[in-house]
This record gives sequence, C-alpha cells and structure tokens, in this order.
Amino acid sequence: MNESGDMTTGADQGTQRVPEPVPTTRAPVVQTSPREQHLDPNAAMMFDVDDLNVFYGDFHAVFDVSLDIRQHEITAFIGPSGCGKSTMLRCFNRMNDLIEGARVEGQLRYHGTDLYAPAVDPVEVRRRIGMVFQKPNPFPKSIYDNIAFGPKIVGFGGNLDDLVEESLTRAALWDEVRDKLGDSAFALSGGQQQRLCIARAIATSPDVLLMDEPCSALDPIATLRIEELMQELKEDYTIIIVTHNMQQAARVSDRTAFFNVRLNEEGQRTGRLVEYAETGKLFTNPDQKATEDYITGRFG
Amino acid sequence: MTGSQYYGPLMGAEARSHFDAQLNEIREGLVNLGTLVVENLNRAGEAMRETRLDLIPQVRAADLEINDHYYELERHTFEILARQQPVAGDLRFLVAATRIVYEQERSGDLVVNCVNMLERLSGFPDVPVINALLAQLIEAAAGIFTMSVEALSTMDPESGVRLDDADDEVDDLVSRYYTEIGRAADTIGLEPAIALSRVGRFLERIGDHAVNIGENVTYVVTAEFPRADHVTPSDEVDPEQAGPPPRG
Repeated sequence: MNESGDMTTGADQGTQRVPEPVPTTRAPVVQTSPREQHLDPNAAMMFDVDDLNVFYGDFHAVFDVSLDIRQHEITAFIGPSGCGKSTMLRCFNRMNDLIEGARVEGQLRYHGTDLYAPAVDPVEVRRRIGMVFQKPNPFPKSIYDNIAFGPKIVGFGGNLDDLVEESLTRAALWDEVRDKLGDSAFALSGGQQQRLCIARAIATSPDVLLMDEPCSALDPIATLRIEELMQELKEDYTIIIVTHNMQQAARVSDRTAFFNVRLNEEGQRTGRLVEYAETGKLFTNPDQKATEDYITGRFG
Repeated sequence: MTGSQYYGPLMGAEARSHFDAQLNEIREGLVNLGTLVVENLNRAGEAMRETRLDLIPQVRAADLEINDHYYELERHTFEILARQQPVAGDLRFLVAATRIVYEQERSGDLVVNCVNMLERLSGFPDVPVINALLAQLIEAAAGIFTMSVEALSTMDPESGVRLDDADDEVDDLVSRYYTEIGRAADTIGLEPAIALSRVGRFLERIGDHAVNIGENVTYVVTAEFPRADHVTPSDEVDPEQAGPPPRG
C-alpha cells in the first residue's frame, strides 16, 4: 500500500462567516466574484476504477464501471434500488470479500495500487478506507471506548485521551459528549450515534470515508448536521457516499455518479454507470436523458 | 424564523453554514455587480461632462466585465436553486437575485447607450443650462443606483419605498432637462436635441431599474412587493418601459 499522503491532524475547519452588512466599498473583483464553480481539474486521484464488474455467484451485479475518485472531494453514487451503487461502494474497501460467492473483476487502484492484488491486506485496506453504515451501529460500550477500541487494536501508541477528543471534535460531537464520555453510546440520539460512528471511523486515521446511506435513519435536522460535517471532513478526507436521496447528493457532493439498472443479454438486472459528472452539471444539465428522467422524478 | 444570515442574525446558523456561505456569495456578487455599474456610470458621466471621448472604450470594456459577472452570478444562482432546494426567505432571495442581476445588467447597457450618443455627436453641444442639468442628472442616477447597492448590502425592508421616493427627484430633473432641450432645439439642431433627450431617457431608466432592485429587496425581507398604490396617479407609466407588473 502506498503512503496515503498528507494527513493533517487537529485542523479545526471552521466555516468562514461573512460579516454583516456586506461592505459597499469596491472590493477587488477577482476576490469577490462568485466562487470558482468548477472543481480542480488537477485534484489528485484517490481511486482509479477500470471496467469493474461484480458478481454474486452467477448474478452479474455491476457491469463494466469505470470512474475516477478525486482526493478531498465528495463523490455521490445515486440511482434506483438494485442499480449496484452499494455493491460498488463496498468494492472500495473490499467489504464484498466478506460476502460468500462475491467476485470482483477489473481494476480498482487506490493511490495507483491494485486494491485486489494478492499482497494487499484487506484489514489494512479497511483501516485506510473507513466505512459508515446506514444504521448507526455503535459498539455496546461507552462513548470513549467506541473511539478508543479501534486504535487500541491496531496498537496506537499515542495519547488515547487526545485521540478521543480530536476524533469527537472532528465529528462535531465533542461539545455534546465531553462531560459524559463514560456513558453508554446507546444513550445518544440517532444523529449523535451516527456522528460517533464517524468519529470512530476517523480515529484510525483513514484517508477515505465510505458512507452507505448515512442519513437514511436520521431526522431532517440530524441529516443536515451530518451533511454540514461532511463539508468539513472533506478538507482532510476523501468521501464517497451512497444515497437514495438525490437532493442530498445535490446538496453535499462535488461529483455525482448516476447508476441505473439494465437487463443484460440473459435478462438479468445489472447495475451500470449511466453518467458521472460534476454535481452542478449533473443537476442542471445532465447529458443523458435517463439521468434527467431520474433526477426530475420521472422514473425510479 | 425570519430567514438567513444574508439579512440578519440567524438562529442555528451552524446547521447550514455551507449553504449560508453560498447565499452570502450571491449577495456579495450582487453588491459588487451594482458597484461596477455605479463606477461605469461615473466614468460615462465624466466622459459626457468633460467631452472625454477617450473614456468611451473604457466604458464599453467595463460593460463587458459587467456582463461576465452577470452571467456567472445568474449561473451560480441557478445552480444553488437546483442543488439546495431553498424554501421561504432563501427561495425569495434567490428568485429575487435572478431578477436583480437582470436589472443591473440592463442598467449597465444603458450606461453604454449614453456614451454611444456622445460618440455619435463627437461631444455634446455647449449649452450651459443643459450641461448643468445633465451633470445633476448623472449625479442623481449614480446616487439612486448607489442606494440600490446599499439596499442589497443592508437588506432594509424599507428599500422599495425609499428608492421610489428618490426616483421622484430623478424624474423631476429629467422633465426640466427635456424642457431646456426643447427651448434650445432650434439653436443646437434636431439630431443633437434627440441625442441629448435619449441620454436623459437612459439615465431615467437607470433610476427605474434601481427602484426595481429596491422593491425586490423589500420582497425578499417581507414577502410582499411595495404596494402598487404607492405609485401616485400623476406618475407617468410608459407601457413599453414599465417595470414588472405590481405584485401583492
């Protein structure tokens, strides 16, 4: 596995506030024109996927997917049920290895290294590429131990208290739990539990976070908090999110991949990548009619 | 909840700080676009008052910059509409922003129209009373457009009424200006008289666009346009040039 690059620690990514009122004196145009909308074309590659196919036994779940995932961006996978988006997501940290009969063909490179090469240790892959699941799934332990558990197992040699505080701070949870770190994680609300799971995922210093429907079990306010948190996390991590909620993809992601179900020659339902574009482009002027039909709610 | 950060303190601002930052970018963009129009109007004013024909290309170049900002700001606003599903005050603000950028861009064009007249005549005829009124008119138009920029900065709900009142001064000046052109028409000749009249008309229209901007600011904050009955019966309404129909 290659070096994962810069992993800064403790960076407090506060959101800049614009003071009220906006001054009417002339400011340099270059500074004040609307923020550059197009993403950095030179953003470093995190994952490079080529003709990826996934099978569950005889079932061809994902057909010939090729796409790039860029560092420090949020990439969303959207599409109707059965389109292969979650299957695709699980390829990025080899979670499909755990499913009996699952088979991955094609190339999936992480920092240029084939993630499925025989020498690659899937456990190390999952430390580098963390995952947050649909339903918050904290361990039946204290808030503190939920964070400390993973680092202890991988032999973390630093100050655990500091790591717990830093992870919870980055997950925007510290202020709410600092006085009750010994309480059971189950005492937290759903939204707090999900942020705890995010804190747990980042405690082992990954450089990628995979999120599988991370807000589908949360109320709208908790959902917006997670989305806000994602904007801060992308400064330090690369995020791939699968969501049924295409408005969420529109709000939160930099690039969006739209997957759809098509029948193959044998009449099987197979997931394919239909369109992959900058999110602003995909939601204002998609190239494919199928994309437009889906995002405007005309099918799916 | 009276809305978001762009016109007042926001409860729970941290909940959507990314979105709020985008809204603020739009508002800053509107303020800056308006400022560019005022600057270009002052530049065109100097060209007209002092027969500085050398400034005309600069005025045109500045308008191209204004157009670029207009397109970019409008595109950015559409993208936010598509991606953030705005509602309530946020929705009013973004919809109003698409109208306001249009008013600003149109005003920029009118500034260029003014110097087109100057160029056609290679300088305006030297009639002191007309020149003095034209100078006042330029100042009044720049003044009211500056007020529209301040309205965007403060999001003051009284902006619509205030701008409308200020526009009365512009309209007064324009009538006196027309009267003097009429008196001097025989001396200065028909074509210069028409060109000068059109400059007056352009400056008056800039005032009207400023009023529309103020009314849109009022709409964002209060969800209502200033009442149509604010327009007094004596106000002349030119169907061709009238702003959007009164709402609310």
